[in-house]
Amino acid sequence: MIVDGEYTFPAPRQTVWTLLQDPDVLVKAMPGAKHLTSTGDGAYEGVIRIGVGPVTAAEWSLTVLLSDRTPPESYTMQVDSKGTLGFTRGNAKVELLDEAGSTRMRYRADLQVGGKVAGVGQRLLDQVAKMMTKQGLEALSREMKTRLAEDQEAAPA
Amino acid sequence: MTALPTEVSVLVNGTSHRRAVEPRLLLSDFLRHDLGLTGTHVGCEHGVCGACTVLMDGEAVRSCLVFAVQADGREVATVEGLAPRDGALHPLQEAFRDAHGLQCGFCTPGFLMTLVPFLAENPDPDEHTIREAISGNLCRCTGYANIVHAVRLAADRAAGRAEVPMSTGETIDPVEAPEAAALEAR
Amino acid sequence: MSRRYVGEWVTRNEDQRLLTGHALFVDDVRLEGMLHVAFVRSDHAHAVLRGVDASAARARPGVVAVYTAEDLGDYWQPGPLLVPPPPIDGIVFNLATQVPLAKDRLRHVGEPIAMVVAESRYLAEDALADVVVDAEPLEPVTDLERALEPDAPVIHPQLGTNLAAHVVQRHGDYEEAKSRADLVLSRRFHYDRGASAAIENRAVAARWDGQAQELTIWDTTQAPIPIRNGLAGMLGLMQSQVRVVAPFVGGGFGPKIMMFYPEEVLVPWAAMRLGRPVKWTEDRQENFFATTQERGQVHDAEIALSRDGRILGVRDSFLHDTGAYDPYGLTVPINSQCTLLGPYDVPAYDAEFRAVFTNRTTVTPVRGAGRQHGVFVMERLLDFAARELGMDAAEIRRVNYLVQDDFPHDHKILFQDFQPLVYDSGNYRPALEKALELIRWEGFPEEKRRAREEGRRLGVGVVSYVEGTGIGPYEGARVTIEPSGRVRVATGLGTQGQGHYTAFAQIVAEALDVDVARVGVVTGDTREFNWGTGTFASRGAVVAGSACHAAAQAVRAKVLGVAARVLNVPEGEVELWDGHARVRAEPQRSLPYGELAMRANPLRGGVSPGTEPGLEATAYFGPDRGSTASGVHAVVVEVDAETAMAKFLRYVVVHDCGKLINPVLVEGQVQGGVAHGIGNAFFEKLHYDESGQLQNASFMDYLLPTALDVPEVSMAHRETPAPMNPLGLKGVGEAGCIPTGAAFAQAVEDALSDLSIEIREIPLSPNRLFELLREAPAPSSQGTAP
Ligand code: FES
Ligand code: FES
Repeated sequence: MIVDGEYTFPAPRQTVWTLLQDPDVLVKAMPGAKHLTSTGDGAYEGVIRIGVGPVTAAEWSLTVLLSDRTPPESYTMQVDSKGTLGFTRGNAKVELLDEAGSTRMRYRADLQVGGKVAGVGQRLLDQVAKMMTKQGLEALSREMKTRLAEDQEAAPA
Repeated sequence: MTALPTEVSVLVNGTSHRRAVEPRLLLSDFLRHDLGLTGTHVGCEHGVCGACTVLMDGEAVRSCLVFAVQADGREVATVEGLAPRDGALHPLQEAFRDAHGLQCGFCTPGFLMTLVPFLAENPDPDEHTIREAISGNLCRCTGYANIVHAVRLAADRAAGRAEVPMSTGETIDPVEAPEAAALEAR
Repeated sequence: MSRRYVGEWVTRNEDQRLLTGHALFVDDVRLEGMLHVAFVRSDHAHAVLRGVDASAARARPGVVAVYTAEDLGDYWQPGPLLVPPPPIDGIVFNLATQVPLAKDRLRHVGEPIAMVVAESRYLAEDALADVVVDAEPLEPVTDLERALEPDAPVIHPQLGTNLAAHVVQRHGDYEEAKSRADLVLSRRFHYDRGASAAIENRAVAARWDGQAQELTIWDTTQAPIPIRNGLAGMLGLMQSQVRVVAPFVGGGFGPKIMMFYPEEVLVPWAAMRLGRPVKWTEDRQENFFATTQERGQVHDAEIALSRDGRILGVRDSFLHDTGAYDPYGLTVPINSQCTLLGPYDVPAYDAEFRAVFTNRTTVTPVRGAGRQHGVFVMERLLDFAARELGMDAAEIRRVNYLVQDDFPHDHKILFQDFQPLVYDSGNYRPALEKALELIRWEGFPEEKRRAREEGRRLGVGVVSYVEGTGIGPYEGARVTIEPSGRVRVATGLGTQGQGHYTAFAQIVAEALDVDVARVGVVTGDTREFNWGTGTFASRGAVVAGSACHAAAQAVRAKVLGVAARVLNVPEGEVELWDGHARVRAEPQRSLPYGELAMRANPLRGGVSPGTEPGLEATAYFGPDRGSTASGVHAVVVEVDAETAMAKFLRYVVVHDCGKLINPVLVEGQVQGGVAHGIGNAFFEKLHYDESGQLQNASFMDYLLPTALDVPEVSMAHRETPAPMNPLGLKGVGEAGCIPTGAAFAQAVEDALSDLSIEIREIPLSPNRLFELLREAPAPSSQGTAP
């Protein structure tokens, strides 16, 4: 399943880049993610709560690996999660385009779902993936705004 | 994960049962395992096949979608309670037998429990209404035709109307003289 | 009065228990101290299994044991080959059977990896989350053609190939036939996977009685005796120490045959090891992944005909998806290959198939067992040919039917029972004419035209099929008259709703002239009968029914003998009448069977030499080969060209299943089969994605036909008695579903005749039909005739 799209953040590209490498921010971009900790260069581990349609929500283990990083332009993100009901593996290519003070993000993710969750959630997965992406991006955007506001407060006027 | 058991009291087929159950225990499992009423069958565990249908306060519900705790203080009727006494049958059960409305019989309790309240409300249903009423119950064996006949038969009997004889198919030219057949075929 | 039961509607004696909720199904077995099982299963279609860590699960309260492949020790063995491949020249067959728990490789989603045994099913399922599976995904093999490419990943490395089998069968000279042909048509056909979807899922329960040293197993199997024999061997027990009971089984349809499923092999083992009863019941989701499925095939077929529509020859080459393992040998693809020939005279047949391993659930026979594929290919080729030749669909069939003088007809290829494909009997044309009459074929063009004026599109289809049924090897039955006068019949068969109890009681009651209500039948319990094979290939009624008949005849002879002795008259003067033996000339001198049974088992005095005590006999029946059932299906559908929805308006089945034991039971089988066939044709399809993940593993997404989708079938029976057994029986269990797809395709095409689409695939879901309609060229004005 391919999920792709664009999203514009009201922040300069470098700021967006930095925030996207921060596990505390990333965790907000993944709806259901409970926590995420950095385990090394661009690698993160955590726990996510997933439930799709008739599949009861359950906690899944989560790993995130950022690679091919060309700051502040692009990177690849590999997200794997695993639980009793199956697994998901996602590979996303993310590009950041500088646009006069704001940043346009272009993403294209190839998502694979396996096990029971694939068998019963299929009809909904497409929608769920898109909805989760949208929620995630909006959460990211909110987080950025807060951070920017904090930075501005902290900075001398 | 497993929360503490809760006390429930349920009136099943006229007998009252008190049990401590886990909140996540399904009514279907409660009936089958805790009370030993194994006539209620489970075919899908997600509310589609209808095999687990029972009556709760007179209304057909899928017991795989209801928690036992939700039945607390309610009245539940299962297939075991349909017949008036041991060795006898409810008129709908009789009609199922006489119209060959069951094969493996696994889906049957669910059909019966769906149809009991239906017939009470629609004593003289036409074929389409019957089909709609059972469209939420899956049967892999019968192809439904004889279930529809059984419902009609029960309705007709209740109203004292004449019954349609069984076996709709005809047997054609049972055994033919070989010469005639060969001639015809050539 | 002599009692007539065979051929009559007798209500079923099993129904009382089923209707009141007192029938015992396997999941209803509740035993003191019983443990419950859940399985950790593969999420991957293809992976290397690096390790399984069950320590956390073992530590969880309520968990009694967790087993992985390693814990099984020597008990870990691949399952048996159930049906060896037939002795066909040049055959290639590569065997790979399922294993109880995956060891190094995961080969399909749902393959069991670990078995959790706990105090309740809820606890067992909780513990699944604690088992850590380390798997490294491999490229999945899902496309049949890709699977055979040299660089494709190999599912069973020890075989070095994904080819499971290669079989070529020929008769006549196809090339020569083709060179003489006026018309040669070739097409590619697809037939996809479906689920058997019995409403009862599988279940196994087992209890080891250490004092008696006896193992009792309750199993939703169609073949309790082979399961008993197999498990006794595996567990190192004597067959007499193992009792397998297949109580009431909620629909079989093939996959509940003697598979030696992992769960079936593990539950009894765990019960012995733990010394407590153990039960596992499949849930619906597991059923979609772990119960064997219906087959996918891709056919490249060609037909050569003369100008007048006569078949000169057929060539067919197909790929058969056998899934991850092939324990059932070649039964399914051989059925496809043989059944393709149908009721037709095909002078030259060049047939080849390759069975292919894929990373999907294993394929074994499901109702129809591959026959529908052959029928679909042949019937479609005839339809396309008729269209080219400007012939009527019925006419092209008529001119190609085998005729009475042709029987027995030898197709000179081998069938699944290793016997030459010989049709014992049949008379096809009258069945066709009857079906045309019932579907109102003559008047249909007018009906279609009028409907079209109202904006409705109707189409009609008529197709034929032949089904080899009632194959060997054998079944047996024991008939006993008890001192109460009641008659007991035991067979080794399992029964799944076909009404065997009643059919057998009818046969015996008629032979002994006794009230059918006084005949009790037990099936499916190895304690009751020791020998037999199982319910498959529409053989139960034919083979076991014939054995019941033979045993009843033997008891009848004993009754006459004992009565003659007791009444002191020559045997020839004794007759049986309503549960009594009496002197023909003096009917008042009469003895009830119960008393005769007592007399036959004296407490004093000897049993005279050459006789046996009691009124009991056991008999076996094994036909030399199967008997050929056949029939015609005709259907009228209405298709909405905008929504691509199709509705079945009329459905006709005229079939010949030999002598009918109980017409109502037969009609029930046919009606149910048609519903199954309609599901296959239009609603049901297992959607696998390219990575081998099943995408619709629930009844929410995998649609079984409901009461609103299945029409009532009008039926007519022809009774051409089968010469292969004394009662003239032929099997009927699968007849309803075999030609349904072909009939449906023809009718849908006819309804859309102005759009000239060709249907070459089944299932044809509304979505797929919608796509075909979009791709179709603009409407032309011709083509309204059926
Ligand atoms: S088991 Fe409840 S609806 Fe299927
Ligand atoms: S009778 Fe078998 S499922 Fe309905």
